[in-house]
Formats: sequence, structure tokens, C-alpha cells
Amino acid sequence: MVKKHLIKRSPLRVLEESTHGGPGRGAMAVLASPKGVGKTACLVHIATDKLFQGKSVIHVSYASRVDYIITWYEDIFKEIAKNHRLRDAVAVHDEIIKNRVIMNFKQDGMKTEQVLRSLEAMITGGKFNAETIIIDGYDFGLAESEDLRKFKEFAGRMGLELWFSASLKETGGDLFRPDGTPVLLAPHAGQIDVLVTLQAKSDAVEIRVVKDHDYPAAGILPIKLDPKTLLIAQEK
Amino acid sequence: MTTTIERMRNIGISAHIDSGKTTLTERILYYCGKIHRIHEVKGKDGVGATMDHMELERERGITITSAATNVAWDGYAINIIDTPGHVDFTIEVERSLRVLDGAVLVLCSVGGVQSQTITVDRQLRRYDVPRIAFINKCDRVGANPLKVRDQLEEKLKHNAVLMQVPIGLEDQHKGVVDLVAMKAVYFEDDTIRLDEIPADLREEAARRRNDLLDAASMFSDELTEAILEDRVTEDLIQAAVRRGTIARKLTPVFMGSAYKNKGVQTLLDGVVRYLPAPNEVKNVALGRAGETGAAVEVVLAADPAAPAVLLAFKLEDGPYGQLTYIRIYQGRIEKGTALVNTRSGQEIKVGRLIRMHADHMEDIPEAIAGDITALFGIDCASGDTFADPSLDYSMTSIYVPEPVISLAIKPRDKKTLDRMAKALNRFTKEDPTFRTFVDPESHETIIQGMGELHLDVYVERMKREYNAEVETGKPQVAYREALTRKVEFDYTHKKQTGGAGQYGRVIGHIEPMAEGNYEFVNEIKGGRIPREFIPSCDKGLKAAVRKGGLIGFPVTGVRIVLTDGQYHEVDSSDNAFQAASIGAFRQVYAKAKPQILEPVMKVSVEGPTEFAGAVFGSINQRRGMIISSIEDGSFSRVDAEVPLSEMFGYSNQLRSLTQGKAEFTMEFLKYGRVPAAVAEELQKQHAEKKAREAK
Repeated sequence: MVKKHLIKRSPLRVLEESTHGGPGRGAMAVLASPKGVGKTACLVHIATDKLFQGKSVIHVSYASRVDYIITWYEDIFKEIAKNHRLRDAVAVHDEIIKNRVIMNFKQDGMKTEQVLRSLEAMITGGKFNAETIIIDGYDFGLAESEDLRKFKEFAGRMGLELWFSASLKETGGDLFRPDGTPVLLAPHAGQIDVLVTLQAKSDAVEIRVVKDHDYPAAGILPIKLDPKTLLIAQEK
Repeated sequence: MTTTIERMRNIGISAHIDSGKTTLTERILYYCGKIHRIHEVKGKDGVGATMDHMELERERGITITSAATNVAWDGYAINIIDTPGHVDFTIEVERSLRVLDGAVLVLCSVGGVQSQTITVDRQLRRYDVPRIAFINKCDRVGANPLKVRDQLEEKLKHNAVLMQVPIGLEDQHKGVVDLVAMKAVYFEDDTIRLDEIPADLREEAARRRNDLLDAASMFSDELTEAILEDRVTEDLIQAAVRRGTIARKLTPVFMGSAYKNKGVQTLLDGVVRYLPAPNEVKNVALGRAGETGAAVEVVLAADPAAPAVLLAFKLEDGPYGQLTYIRIYQGRIEKGTALVNTRSGQEIKVGRLIRMHADHMEDIPEAIAGDITALFGIDCASGDTFADPSLDYSMTSIYVPEPVISLAIKPRDKKTLDRMAKALNRFTKEDPTFRTFVDPESHETIIQGMGELHLDVYVERMKREYNAEVETGKPQVAYREALTRKVEFDYTHKKQTGGAGQYGRVIGHIEPMAEGNYEFVNEIKGGRIPREFIPSCDKGLKAAVRKGGLIGFPVTGVRIVLTDGQYHEVDSSDNAFQAASIGAFRQVYAKAKPQILEPVMKVSVEGPTEFAGAVFGSINQRRGMIISSIEDGSFSRVDAEVPLSEMFGYSNQLRSLTQGKAEFTMEFLKYGRVPAAVAEELQKQHAEKKAREAK
């Protein structure tokens, strides 16, 4: 298969259609789930899909080591290339990773301003024309609404689309509200444009759109996370 | 006097370039009674530290070659191999690591673990060298040895355990608390004074000692029991820490300030207590198995009674001839011992046997397994193995990377030419990553190496040591050419213009190959080309791939398959088939869609976060690809892949962009495809050069 068809057939098109084209520039999407369900894999899949489309991605990580994240990208790429029998896989790989940069921060003591300053340095100083910023491992438990406001202001000013992951910690009480919004994210609901949750069910991981800009949310999608590869896949 | 093997230590002092390694080495020599005055590295008194015996190093304040120096401490003989800290000299580092049994990893208490420290540590790890850490410069403003210990754990993944805590830091740095003996150690006028632990440090010392006991007890059940029964002894702790260190599962951490003479003696105690003796390290050679002659690994016994095996790891040209540094892995040698150079098969007899001290050499009657000494009057190349004539062993070879940069040099006059040749001959023997040849077309002498600085140093050494001043051209990156598709060829070489004619026809195909540089496959059946001319075809093709048609650089990764051909009873000859093969390759080369490859370096830049934007920009400017950026507090590190051709002058640019606060390291990563625009420019330059030469 050639790259063009692969993009068209990606199950991520379903996610995009169900959220009116994804978060869009200047907006913020959050992918939330309890630990170990497959958030990072999911984000990397979303990022890889952007890369396939020739877009540039900055992957910001607050927790994981760089080599660990690179391994995720390699694995997801290999899996996609294999599933779709991608032609010239090596050449495509070398071409797309040029458009990916990984930035690693330690959240303790790292102020949002500093993170944004470094992102801006990468985009302007490093002439890295990013469209999407993936932000993995950000601790929403520590986030002030002021921090998120700054992120959004930055995204608006620079014309970027933000994809956060949020890890929902078991605290004894309910993780989700009846409407599907994670309790942890409730205080920030106003800032979030697109909210997607992952929940492990017996055979697969269910993907649910909880918030879709100002439109009514699509709810549970006809795509799921394959528990083996952690790739987003069309329901059979 | 011969020291028993249990009382020998072969250690290296490995460090980041400015962490004070040379000063520390000098202090070690001083306290071991080998030198009587202390000189500073940068040579305020114009003398310079003793280990840096090359003039050039003295001037630059860095240590380039590894010299072995023997010292005595507390009844132990320690051979110190001074390992170079600069990345351009990797082969020197690797070679010295090969002969080490243990290393002191020196860190700066202010700068902590930096990118070069990571490189050096990775090299030590590759050779399974046990390490102890010394956190130096505790007298500096901003000294924080405890933070550096944390970095050892986080960044280098060491199980780092404090053996000491500092008594005072910065200008108040007076000594350390020894967590094994639970005593305060003060360093005053070259002597040590033991005292009670100061009251304000007692609680911390007790806590850190518990950490030490916890970590050490993992390696000794005896110690674990003793802890439970509250009868811990110093010997028990030391034995456990020693076991953990030798197994490379624990890194004891010492600290002090070499410059202020603090902590050096306690570090030396640490060296003899925790780093292994030569017989506690496993060394392997390659031998030949039975009749097949296949290579098999043989474990060497550090036993003086066994047949001798030794490795020549370093050559030096001195006023009395070639000095060969050797490490003896097995057996013993003395004057007259017969040995065989297992690479060349040449037999030698041991002549003068020398022990090297920092400032003089001593003749010794014999040397035994485990020791590092030097031989006079032996002709060999660095990396050669010598063994008892009954053995055909070779020490496993050291990885030698291909040179990535070249430079044309021209002697100033005829006289200089001879001296230059002598120098080049010497350097190529000393350093396998340094190569030289004469370009058959331009007749220029070309030297090749691993980086700009690497070649600079040799050019300067030629001038200083051999009085051979040379003019240098512009450094030239070692490009390569490679095919991207398979093409068929069918070429006839025919000449019948009087005299003996020439005739040869070759048919087959050329194709790209992922691994290896060149492969010739003969699939001719039925003698379409007589067997005697097949090597001629191979020879012709080898000559053809040496210079590709794009920019005249070697074609690599090519497989050539000969499937058919034709010959003439009278006119076919060796020359005719060589010419036919060259013609065939040149004719179809362009059809194989060749591309230009260039060396790409893995570059790491480290510095304060405030300069991140400037660093990103500088990499982007140089066609670099940023892989990642890591920020930890105010410090950031950027990893990138940048073509070597774009890295010239980077150190200057970086210095001016960051007020000298950032530094970078680079090493060869891979050959990568040159972008179309650059390739065009290179081809244009090549065409112009050829046109000039044709005139």
C-alpha cells in the first residue's frame, strides 16, 4: 500500500470525523484514562498519523525517557507498516521522523512558562514548523487553571493543536462522572475543547468522545484499542 | 622487587575534560612519593603536570595520549593509565580501556554528570570496567557532591553509594567523614588527621552509613547477619563493597578537591580496597580450535607459571627508539624470553624491560601476569599480541572505526618530505584511525582521521616532534557513493590497432547491497570466460569502485555478478579483462541511479536552558535534525544528527552563541544520503576540479 491510502484508511479518520476534525489549531484535546490502558500508545498513533500526512509534531514528555518514547514510535510505525504492507517502509520512516522532535521536561519545579519558552525556541529558533504538540505525562492533579490557560493562549498565538494525555489515578472514589467526564478533569472542563476517554472492557479498550467543542458529543466510537498492539483499530 | 598479583592495580582515570583529571593524577603521583613538587596543568610555572609529557598537551592543557605510570601506595603497586578525555581520540580511549582492570570516574562537584561523562562512562561499560567515583572540586562555589551522586544514579544508572560525606563545602571544605570507620578525616599539610565526627554532621553521617550498609549487605550475607546482630566491622563492609564494585553492581563514591589536596589519600585507599586485582578480572583471547582453525575464545589465567600472553597497547617514539607499552595477561617475561607476534608470525626476544614512572624509567629484571610495563627495541604495531611460541592466541581486536575526514598536506621543501614520511609512518603505527596515502591523481599526500582536532594534533606533532612543517588544505569529508538500483551490463573491450590486440567481453549486473562494501560473484558456467581471467575481472571492478562517477569517492555497498562473457584465443589477456570490467562498470553506473552519502554525526549539546533557542537554531542552520531536547532545571541537553561537513567551526560558533557556557560532543553515527541540492553542488565542484586538473 502506498502512504496516501494508508492515511485515508486509518481508523483515526473515525476519531477525526467524530470530533469535527479533531481539536484544530489553537485548541486543546485531552485523552484521559486510568494508568496502563494505552494512552501513550494512542498519542503516538495520533502523532504518527500526523507525520504520515507530512505534518510536523513535537512530542513533549514530562515523565518518560527519550529512548523509551522513541521505542514507542518505532513499534507503532512497524505495526502500521506491517498491517498495511507499506511500500518503501524504510524510506517513509526516514522521511517522517525528520518531522518529529521529542522534548523532555521534569515537571517538578518546571514552570509552564519555561516549557512554553523552550517550545517557542524550538519552533522559531530551530525553525521547526510544528502543527501538533503532543503532551504526555502532564500531571493534571498539579495543574492550575492558569497553566492550561497559558498553554491555550500559546497554542492560539502559534497556531498549534494540542493533544494532552491525562492519567486518572485511583483514589477510592469514582474516576468518572455519570456524564463520562473524568473527575480529575472536571475543574478544567471549560478549557478542554475535545475530551476523549479510554476505558478497559473485557475484550478491548473502549474509546469514547465525551466532549466535542460545542457540539453534542459522539459518545462511544465504533473504533477500539487493540489490547495486543495498543493500536487504534476499526471494530470488526 | 616484584609485587604479587594480589597487590597490583591497573587503573584508569576517566573524566570529562575540565573535571580536574590531570590535577588529580598529579596529586596521586605526589602522595605516592613519585614527584616532589606539584605543578598545575596549565603550567603557571612553565613545567606542567608530569603525566602530560607531550609538549603539545602541555600547551593545550589537555591530555592526548595515554601513558602508563607506576606508583606505590600502602604496599600496593598501581599502574595508572591516563586515558584521554576528548571524544576525537576515541581509539586512544578504547585502547587504554582494554588494559584496565578498574577506573576512577572523576566528576566535577559543580558541573556533575555532563555529556562527555556519559560518553566516557559508556565506554567503560562497554569494556566491563568496574568503577569508583571521585567527586572533585568540592572547594568550588556551588559544589554539591550529594546532587552529583543523585545524577550518577539518574543519568548513568549507577548504584552509587556514598563512602564519605563532605565536611564543609566551597571555601569551607576541610575534609570528609569516612562512613566505614565513622571518623572525620582532615587533610592538613599533606598529612591526615583523624578526629571525631563534628556534632552537626553526626545525624547525617549515621543516616548515610545506613544507606551504605543497606547497599553493601546486598553482596554479603555475612554483613547482613552482622548488621542484625550489631557487630559490623570495617573489614566486613569493605569486603562487601569490594564484591559489589567488582561485579559492577555498585559504585562507591569518594569526594574532595585535588587542587586543594583534599581527599586524594582516601581515594587511593579506595582504589586498593575496592578495585580488582588483575587476577579478579576475566580476560579472553582468541585461539584456534583443533584442525579447522576456527577462532575460539580462551580464558587467560593470570598465572606467572603459564605460557606468556601479552598485548602491545601503545607505542611511543623516544630518544632511544620505539618504546612499546605492554600488558601481560598470562605468564611472565624477562630478558631473553622468546615470544611470537601472532599477527605477523615474527619471533622476538625480550630485550630491555622497563617500568615507567612519571618522570623517569627504571630497568626491571622481569614482569609477571597482570603487570603493565614497556619494552625497548621491539618492532610492532599497536594492538599486536605477543605470545609464547607454543600458543597462537590473539587478544580480541579493538573496534576500529573508519576515518571520516581527510586533509591534504604538503611538505614545505624536499628535506621536510623525508621527515614528514617518517612521522606519518610512526603515527599510522600508533593510531589505527589515522591513515595516510598519496592520491594517485593529484599526487597529494592525504591524511585521514576521526575529526578536525584529531588531524590538527598530528599536524602539530609533525612540526614539533619531527621538525616537519607542512601546509594543509581544506579538511575534506569522506563522502561515499552508492547505487540505488540493479542494472545489467554487457561490455566489450576491443583493440586491434597493430601489435597485440586486446579482447574481452563481460556480461552481468551490478546491484546495491545493504551490508558490506564490495562483493564480486562469479556465476559464469562452461568457461565462457576462462578461469584465469576471472581474478582480472575482480581486480578491474575493484579499481572501478574506488572512484565513483558522481564525485570521485568510493562506491560502497555494491555487489557485482558476472554471468556471461566472451574471449578470444589470442587477444584476451589479464589487461583486456580488467579494462573490460572497468568499462562495463563506468558505462552502466549512471543507470544504477547512484547517490552521494555523507558521514552523519551524533551531536550532543549541553548548556544552560536560556540558550536553547540559539542551540536549536545553530543545528537547524547546519542541516541538522534535532532528535530530542531534555531539560532538567536550568540545564538542557540537545541531541541531534548533523552532517559532518556542516560541523566545521561549530565549537567557535557555539562558544560565541552561549558565552562559552555550552559544550558539545560528537561521534560518528552513520552514512546518510546527501540532499539533492547539496549533491548538485558537490558534483559541480567535482567537475570544476577535474577540468582544472585536465588543463
